[in-house]
Amino acid sequence: MKLKLTWLMTLFMAFVMQLSFAQEKTVTGTVTSATDGLPLPGVSVIVKGTSRGVQTDFDGNYSIKASTGETLVFSFVGMKSSEKKIGQSSTLNLSMAEDLAELETVVITGYAGATNSSKITSAIATVSAESIEQVPINSIDQLLQGQAAGVNVSTGSGQPGQSATIIIRGRNSLNGDIEPLFIIDGVPVDQDNFRSLNQNDIETMSVLKDAAATAIYGNRGAGGVILITTKTGKKGSGVKVQYRSLYGVADQPDARFDVMNASQFLTFQRDLLPGTQFGDGLSDATIAAIAQQSNTDWSDVFFRRGKTKSHEITVTTGGENSSSFSSVQYYEQEGITFGSSLKRFSFRNNFNASSADNKFNFATNLTMNYSVSSFVVDAVRGNNTGGQLDNPFIVPYIGLPYLSPYNPDGSLNIWGTGPLGSGGSGAFNADGTLNANGANGFQNTPFIALNTASLGSDLESEIKIVGRISGDYNFAKNFTIGTSFGLDYTNVEDLFITPPNSIRGVNTPNAASLDKGTQFENFYRDISMIANAFVRYDNDITEKLNLNVAIFGEYNYNNRQNANFQAFGLNPALPGSGAGFTSGSTSEGPDNDVFNYIPTVGSSETELALASTFATLNLDYDNRFGLGASIRRDATSRFIENREGTFWSVSGRWNIDNEAFMENVDWLSTLKLRASYGVVGNQNLGANRRYIGLQTVNSNSGYQNANSYALGTLIDPAIKWETSNQSNIGLSFGFWQNRLSGEVDFYNNETTDLFASKPLSTAGTGTTSVQTNVGDMTNKGIDLQISYNILRQSDTNPWDITLNANGNYNKNEVTSLPGGFTGNALRIAEGRSAFTWFLPRWAGVNPANGEPLYLDLEGNVTNVYSPDNAVYLDKNFDPTYTGGFGADIRYKGFSFNTLFAFQADRWKNNSSLAIIEDAGLAGFANQSTSLLNAWTTPGQITDIPALSNGGLRAVDGDRYLEDASFLRLRNVSLSYNVDRKVLEQTKVFTGVRVFVQATNLFTWTKYRGFDPEGTTSTTFFEFPVPRTFTLGFDLTF
Amino acid sequence: MKKYLSIITITGAILLSSCGDSLDRFPVDQLVEETAFTSVSDLQLGLAGAIGSYDPDNFVEFNSIFTDNCKLGAFSGGQELNTLNQLLNADGGDRGIWTSHYGTLNDFNRLFAAAAAITPTSIEVDQYNNILAQSHAFRALMHYELLLYYGLDMRDNGSAGVPYVDYVSADATPARNTTGEVLTAIQADLDAALSLFPAGTTDINFASPDFVTFLRARIALESGDNTGAIGFATTIISNYSLATPAQYVGMFQEDADTTEVIWKYDSVQDSNLGLTGNWNFTGLDGFIEMSNELAGLFEGSDIRTTVNLGGNSDASTNYFSIGKYPENADTQAINDFKAMRVSEAYLIRAEALARTTQFALAAADVFAVRSVRNGAGVNPSYPNVQLALEDILAERRLELAFEGHRYIDIKRMRSVLNTGIQRDASDCEGAVPCNLPFNSEKWIFPIPTVEINANTNITQAPGY
Repeated sequence: MKLKLTWLMTLFMAFVMQLSFAQEKTVTGTVTSATDGLPLPGVSVIVKGTSRGVQTDFDGNYSIKASTGETLVFSFVGMKSSEKKIGQSSTLNLSMAEDLAELETVVITGYAGATNSSKITSAIATVSAESIEQVPINSIDQLLQGQAAGVNVSTGSGQPGQSATIIIRGRNSLNGDIEPLFIIDGVPVDQDNFRSLNQNDIETMSVLKDAAATAIYGNRGAGGVILITTKTGKKGSGVKVQYRSLYGVADQPDARFDVMNASQFLTFQRDLLPGTQFGDGLSDATIAAIAQQSNTDWSDVFFRRGKTKSHEITVTTGGENSSSFSSVQYYEQEGITFGSSLKRFSFRNNFNASSADNKFNFATNLTMNYSVSSFVVDAVRGNNTGGQLDNPFIVPYIGLPYLSPYNPDGSLNIWGTGPLGSGGSGAFNADGTLNANGANGFQNTPFIALNTASLGSDLESEIKIVGRISGDYNFAKNFTIGTSFGLDYTNVEDLFITPPNSIRGVNTPNAASLDKGTQFENFYRDISMIANAFVRYDNDITEKLNLNVAIFGEYNYNNRQNANFQAFGLNPALPGSGAGFTSGSTSEGPDNDVFNYIPTVGSSETELALASTFATLNLDYDNRFGLGASIRRDATSRFIENREGTFWSVSGRWNIDNEAFMENVDWLSTLKLRASYGVVGNQNLGANRRYIGLQTVNSNSGYQNANSYALGTLIDPAIKWETSNQSNIGLSFGFWQNRLSGEVDFYNNETTDLFASKPLSTAGTGTTSVQTNVGDMTNKGIDLQISYNILRQSDTNPWDITLNANGNYNKNEVTSLPGGFTGNALRIAEGRSAFTWFLPRWAGVNPANGEPLYLDLEGNVTNVYSPDNAVYLDKNFDPTYTGGFGADIRYKGFSFNTLFAFQADRWKNNSSLAIIEDAGLAGFANQSTSLLNAWTTPGQITDIPALSNGGLRAVDGDRYLEDASFLRLRNVSLSYNVDRKVLEQTKVFTGVRVFVQATNLFTWTKYRGFDPEGTTSTTFFEFPVPRTFTLGFDLTF
Repeated sequence: MKKYLSIITITGAILLSSCGDSLDRFPVDQLVEETAFTSVSDLQLGLAGAIGSYDPDNFVEFNSIFTDNCKLGAFSGGQELNTLNQLLNADGGDRGIWTSHYGTLNDFNRLFAAAAAITPTSIEVDQYNNILAQSHAFRALMHYELLLYYGLDMRDNGSAGVPYVDYVSADATPARNTTGEVLTAIQADLDAALSLFPAGTTDINFASPDFVTFLRARIALESGDNTGAIGFATTIISNYSLATPAQYVGMFQEDADTTEVIWKYDSVQDSNLGLTGNWNFTGLDGFIEMSNELAGLFEGSDIRTTVNLGGNSDASTNYFSIGKYPENADTQAINDFKAMRVSEAYLIRAEALARTTQFALAAADVFAVRSVRNGAGVNPSYPNVQLALEDILAERRLELAFEGHRYIDIKRMRSVLNTGIQRDASDCEGAVPCNLPFNSEKWIFPIPTVEINANTNITQAPGY
């Protein structure tokens, strides 16, 4: 009902006639844009020195009562304001020019909203709507890849809607949260879940990078803050309806490895591989016959062309005192393998209103979304490792090529074939009966994966609501008070079914039970609430000096609940329903004393609370000098002994371009020096460690499954937030009317009280370590963001070309860590970058005898593998260089945009490849064609040891440590905006845009696999990020 | 202006009132230590937690896979390769036994601390005493096992042992106690247990007076107290009889028979050691198999062949799955770990007798076990201690296969027999090592790196 009213009110306000004031005559006119001559709606027309004002209508027309001799002031965002004196004529038309200086940027900052970029004292990168709209990537965080300097984005899976891991300016924590705080329209939201949100609703994303920008977020700001602002209507802009759509396909990326075909594999087994396996003793003719019949490249079977479609309607309204933005979207994206998809329905309404005197402002933002994600058994799902035999992405590596994916009738075989000895997959016995163990066995991998994908269900249905109501009131000269209430609500219902008639079902709950299958459901509810109030004082103390001070109080509360059950024994006729569950009291077995169907249940709840007071101060002197300061006191429920922390920052700027001595320097439009220092915290020391200040005792099931008490993880009662001491010096520049513009920033972030393992004597304490504030770490680096507008579109020049690039160099160093290091192969070690590789060095194959060779500590070649020969390889998991670059080219109505993203100097262990170069597995798993080059004869130079050495995966050292650097053509699009003159003739459309685009079209990397990106240090059959092609159009009415 | 002031005042009040009690958030799903243990029944819950944290599985796994009892399985996907390859280093090579044992010890020590603050009512006294007795007995067992694997020499009271821990601390960094100190403390714990067991403590799923006697027999044998070993073993033997072949099969299948069991670690549905998972995927698909050598030693007439060899074994392809902990009739592989059996007491006594050159008695004890298992078993006679121990070791290999003894048995006898681990050539193809010399450093477990790093008082075993 409330929504309906909002709508009615919005529409009413849009169409309401302006009330006018009794004056001598009515002045009318049309305001147009100087660039293209089109009417400008929503231009504010005010009689100077009075409060009389109107706005132009959709056709740019206005009508105002005024007297001759008075002056009309015309103003509009992005245009140069202009003043016209009213003469004898009662018609006054105006052509408004773009204000290039103002167009440059408005920056969104924390708790202050839009601020002119020249007034900014901190390091903030802004990503605008144009670069993220209509890109078929369904997680807002993923969209940031390559868009902003110092923002490193990695995605762990190609599952549609997968949340990315974002690290701003280097890893700032070892065991605590490394990702930034995300805030949508003033509401802090879950940083790992954006799949239900519609990215087309976003107006801008602001990445707050230094303490000057983030200290105002206190003990949550150390990892940076990302402020997301969604679209609003513009007052006086009338009603605009837009229909947007997207159609596309997603394809598999290139595989940068080769596995054997059937003939190669069987010949290899027979001729090269020691031991007993199927290929032994087969004649060439038999092998040829088998290969003729089935020579399967399992990539072809498991990857599919996923479809994407999206339909969206947005309505933007703008009346005299209010505006609104509403959108409704249906989005559907299929992953590149069976059973992977995301469907969602998103709704948003943003409403803004002001009193006639603009003293009272009111806004609501509300988005409600429903999505259903369908998952496969991919490597990052739940507790998966990637090694699950029903992981679809293991099959292209190890699926036996001589097995056919099809039944004789041509349908897909989802069960497997006959006994192993006769070249089958082991799922069936010779008599045709199902062999339950064989069906779940290694050789049957392809069919297990097909079976689970075809028959099983792994769904998450999510309701996501983010909303906020805010108001402020300018109650006295220079004083404003305001308050807001926000909510982030997430409800996820998991539904996981292993159906009775499936491979995984035959042994569930166990092989002897009469009824089979299992159903698991989890109900998850997470609510974050925020309440905020402030008083702001803003005054021009002298003509040149502006003072802006605000104090705030804020309370954040989060409540998270889970409830789940798992039932066993499903009636196949009642899939997914509780009516089909076998009763837990059903007993079976010879003595009727075996209970196979006892359901498991669970329930849990956790809370967090954060109470804060904070203040900001901003001084501006003559637009030349600026000083900013903030201080925040946070008290958190997470800690007990050290509950309260104070965080602060100071920052300054010098707008050199506004100095008198620069007045005559034409080529320089912007030159601003910035410096900041501040102290920010990180209180999120582990997602599931909300009671880290309390020594807990867990109630579990212990010996004999009896109820038990056992000590929870040992804690340090003095635990507190991590502290990040951040300094930043930056230069913002713009030359030749900002045609060449950019920012360069140098930063040094020193994290102290780092949350890390303090090694304990297990003998003395019963545990190996306690996580507490013990270490120090630094991140030093450079952010560079640059944009060069080579050609600028004008009346005479149809071309507009802008090149832009951003990059970050980050040097991370752990400066202090008790015990010197933690970890084995992937270490955190004092004096080195966090997550650095420490492994024995592989030195190839001895040509004399085919043995693997290694280097010992001194670098001498040895044939003995020893973990004691492990050394620091000076290769790190986190990239040293990240960034992106691209070009935006426009010609008349055409627009061509590219975005490249890169990560460099990044090393990952390629365990997927190790699996297919492992002679120990070659008896029952397909192998890389490289094994055909295995050493066989003395003197042979090869990098594959003699197969008689067996499986070497446990002793391969750094053999598979690979450079996972990549350069990716993240997005390329070509769009055409139909000419407005053509549109005018249709009398229906005011805008038509048609576009084609490709995402992740090319990836250049040395990494041997499907996808170098990923979020894990050791690759193990991850779901690769797809390559997508889309076609779409936006119609505006 | 007054109006404005009041607005400011109200706003300020809202700002400040947002702090306070709202920050005291206590876990809903967990207890806080200070208030967790308030009654004897809470202690009972603590006991279930502490015993539940003991993991004998590690020994079963290590003793079989590290030695000549196992080979790479046909279904291997790389599981347990490090153990098969005899990688034993300070970085996790000890299978986490140090960490898990001291963790369990910490649980018991915290239980003692909690119990000290609780006074039982008269009807709770037995329960309370039993909790303490169990805690003492398990504390002794933990220390014994640590000493056995990490101590430098069980037979030298002056040698470096392991830290004896009977306290709760958040920062202690104990040095190794001497073997003698640890053994003395173990005996004190066992005495305390005996004095606290309520009358009629006979549940074989828990520690009992017989558990104490049996543990003392093992300790005596390992520490070279042959007389003690003979005495304690005799007490056990007089209280328990050897299982008949039918009972023996029943003992390992369905856990149906407990004739010869002094103590077992109970596995139940949802709290299952999952012993078969040490070697097998579902349904005896072995990623680790019984070695060809061991499979060859099991004779057809030996009931232990039936029990140890998995039903899907196939001699024609040399496929020998380990079937000692089979799926039950309901196909769930829930098996108790029969940690103390009377047959072991016979073999303990036999060894102690042989070491004291009482060869005829020793042979009689060996034959007592052998004949009840294998109708065609040969009655041995021993001319000297070497041949006696060799035969006892061979019998132990068959009798106690996959029960966590092989590595320790070879370790104990290697000084007499001068042999280490010797795998059959067919069991050590590829990168799998064929032998471990009797003087290898790997007969003493390394102290884990994490302990060395955190505890400057501890000394690493030689060779690591």
